[in-house]
Amino acid sequence: MYAYLIRRLLLMIPTFFGILVINFGVLRLQGLSFTEALSGGLDAAPGERKIMGSSSRLENLLDRFRAAGNDLPAVINLNGFLDKADIVAWLRKTAPDSGREVSARNQSEKSLWLVGPYAVQPLAEVLRDDALAEFHGPASQALTLCGYASITPLDLLSKERSQQLEVRNRELRKLSITYRQEPGKPFQTTDPDAVSKRAALLALVAKPANAADFSHDSRWSAILLRTGFTDFVVRLATGNLWSESKKEGVFSVISRAWKTTLGLNVVSILLAWMLAIPLGIRSARRLGTLEDGITTNALFLLWSLPSFFVGALLLHYFCTSSASGSAWFPNKDLTSDGSLWFSTPTFLMDVLWHGFLPMLTLSYASFVSLSRYLRGNLLEQFSADYVRTARAKGVSEDAIVYQHAFRNSSLTLITLSSGLLVDLFGGVLVVEMIFSIHGLGWTMLDAALQNDAPLLMATTVMSVGLLLIGILIADLLYAVVDPRIRSRYA
Amino acid sequence: MPEVPVCRGLWAKAWRKPTVRWGSWLSLVILLAGIYSPFLANELALVWWDAKGLSFPLIADLFNRWSFPKYYDVYFNVAALLLPILLIGGWLLRRRISLGNRVLGGAAAVLVLGTLCLIPLIPSPSGMQPLWRHRLTSSAAVTTPHDHANTLFAPIKFSAMTLVQGQVLKPPLTVDQDSGRRFWLGTDSAGKDVAAQLLAGARISLTVGLVATGLSLLIGLLIGAISGYVGGWLDLLLQRIVEIMMCFPTFILILVIVAMLGRDIIIIMVVIGLTSWAGTARLVRGEFLAQSVRDYVAAGQALGLGPLRIMFRHILPNALTPLLITATFSIAGAVTSESGLSFVGLGDPTVASWGMLLEQGRQNIQYGWLIWCPGIMVFVLVSALNLIGNGLREAIDAAAE
Repeated sequence: MYAYLIRRLLLMIPTFFGILVINFGVLRLQGLSFTEALSGGLDAAPGERKIMGSSSRLENLLDRFRAAGNDLPAVINLNGFLDKADIVAWLRKTAPDSGREVSARNQSEKSLWLVGPYAVQPLAEVLRDDALAEFHGPASQALTLCGYASITPLDLLSKERSQQLEVRNRELRKLSITYRQEPGKPFQTTDPDAVSKRAALLALVAKPANAADFSHDSRWSAILLRTGFTDFVVRLATGNLWSESKKEGVFSVISRAWKTTLGLNVVSILLAWMLAIPLGIRSARRLGTLEDGITTNALFLLWSLPSFFVGALLLHYFCTSSASGSAWFPNKDLTSDGSLWFSTPTFLMDVLWHGFLPMLTLSYASFVSLSRYLRGNLLEQFSADYVRTARAKGVSEDAIVYQHAFRNSSLTLITLSSGLLVDLFGGVLVVEMIFSIHGLGWTMLDAALQNDAPLLMATTVMSVGLLLIGILIADLLYAVVDPRIRSRYA
Repeated sequence: MPEVPVCRGLWAKAWRKPTVRWGSWLSLVILLAGIYSPFLANELALVWWDAKGLSFPLIADLFNRWSFPKYYDVYFNVAALLLPILLIGGWLLRRRISLGNRVLGGAAAVLVLGTLCLIPLIPSPSGMQPLWRHRLTSSAAVTTPHDHANTLFAPIKFSAMTLVQGQVLKPPLTVDQDSGRRFWLGTDSAGKDVAAQLLAGARISLTVGLVATGLSLLIGLLIGAISGYVGGWLDLLLQRIVEIMMCFPTFILILVIVAMLGRDIIIIMVVIGLTSWAGTARLVRGEFLAQSVRDYVAAGQALGLGPLRIMFRHILPNALTPLLITATFSIAGAVTSESGLSFVGLGDPTVASWGMLLEQGRQNIQYGWLIWCPGIMVFVLVSALNLIGNGLREAIDAAAE
């Protein structure tokens, strides 16, 4: 038995790891704000959290990532890998003779300087190259925009450093080389001081000695290998992830929410079993009667009924005072205000009153598929040889159903339950949203709607973790019911 | 493609069940309603005949980007125009060309013509404007008839995009005072006609269902086939991946990806397809495992056929029937997923899908028709597809015995 348990636990590890990887990869798609949350800010010591201003501007963020060495690689953020050729192509797009409309050219220009610090080094390379003399004018102007380092109180820079930046910004502005654009001709530098300005610019934006080297060719390897996954796992394991929308650690948000969801799921799966088993057995024993026909067809239609539709209807008819005179059930939360001071029986009644409709919505889907499956499986068992033998021996019909056939069906029923648990964890999200219950699913949805990647990530990992525990319990039940497994691992 | 007699016999057997027949007719009605939604719900006149002569404003509007901003609408509109021609042509050619080839040819015609219609939309690299511009046809001249005009209008005299000023959240059968037209199923919180949106929503649901299912079948087929036929360490690895996907609540995964990538209907379809292949992969693997020990596979190997040829030309046709059954359930699942996603507020705000209507119903919970109408539509489509799938499955089980 222990061997079986350990084997199941070990099998769960790669699954959990795979889910972590998928989750991480998906959330990496979002890029910026997640990297920010992981890096915890420029001056954060390892393990230290800091509230980030929501008003951070793009270039500000990029600057921060660069400095923290944690700017790599949001999967879609390929801007870190610009090289000289890209910049030249970009500048060409802004030229008047490119045959493009003015608005399209302005767009290119804008998207270039929005790249900000990422473009500084490749721009400097363009400027350094004598063969690309025609682009020196626009490149220098782009440099004054891209190299501009904004200084805001949020940066929390040392005084010395901010003064340094201020001086640099002032210098940068002076150094743009003027040029002329004429349709049909390349850019022409018109500045008399072009040579000295160019030298000064190159000196100003010289590459710092400790800067990381992100060459154009290394981008795919960097994306695949230097993903910050270990950083994420460490932060997740030490509870060090920071939710942006809630302005607190993700685990303090989760600690308030997970019990509600777990409770809802446990109660509704128990409810589904309690209803499905008698109904399935009854329906199978009365095969061919009117009752069986009605039950089967009704269950089939219920099976196709989406739970969000049912939930919305219940909310409309039972929780809204305008539709039914006075609302029968509350439309939000699992407890009333001030339930902390209720006596225990009152509290339980209160929870039951609040939880009845959510539970109904959540459990009917699993109830329906369980009883449909049980009926089919029992019918299969009834035609099996061992049932015929039992009948021939004169075993009573009840004993055949409950001691022989149902015992066998319950094995597949348990297998089915782990699949149902997966659906349940997806469905609880919709139910919690309809009935405004602040559980894990609600938190997850809220995080998704607000693009709060760390919270979304942690809630997903948490609910998958709970789900895996549920599947483990189902596996254990399987071993309890099935003597073959017990004897194999004895 | 070799002939697959199993499929046809199975369908004939399943067709005898009333549930399958009902399911098929219902799905067909919804499909036709989706294809002909602009003809059934439009503020423009179908026929307009006055002193200036005869015109067909609705048909002229079918390829107007202003009225049909989404690309898949082009395919549906092409199909709507071609369908009568194809049906007549197919009937005339019934002796010369087999049924399967006629269906394939019709689908190909719709695809080719729909793609040709998209060409003018591609912005040219030299920065020229697309040839096909937005144009306004829904002017008063062809929407409100005057005394001397003989007109024929669609049964629902609003399109899914028509915003009616001041007619917000009106109950069913309300009459619009300005135009004297009736909102058969009321209006939503933006002042759009619900009935017209339901018809347009049929297009979206069917597109989502078909695209997502196609994608998930493709991925599931590839992974399941490799894992079942090649086996070995590859099988072990792929099975782990399938298991991971099975353990991940699909709805949560879709939600997370859509929240991160953006609320675009194309992204939603693709994501649903990319996340729901695990069941198909497992099924295909089982089929391929069972088939790969058959004699015909050994014969193929002895003849020196490549693994790809054996897998997809020989085993696949034999494993096709359970795959088709999964496809019907999978379409139903994709439709539910899309509606659920819209319902929780992560749908594409630019399309009038059933889920978006339901979401409005949730936000304005006291207006029952906003819940009932789209909910019933989702329910009917999903249960029709489930009925077909269920009937086919029962037929296959009976055939196995």
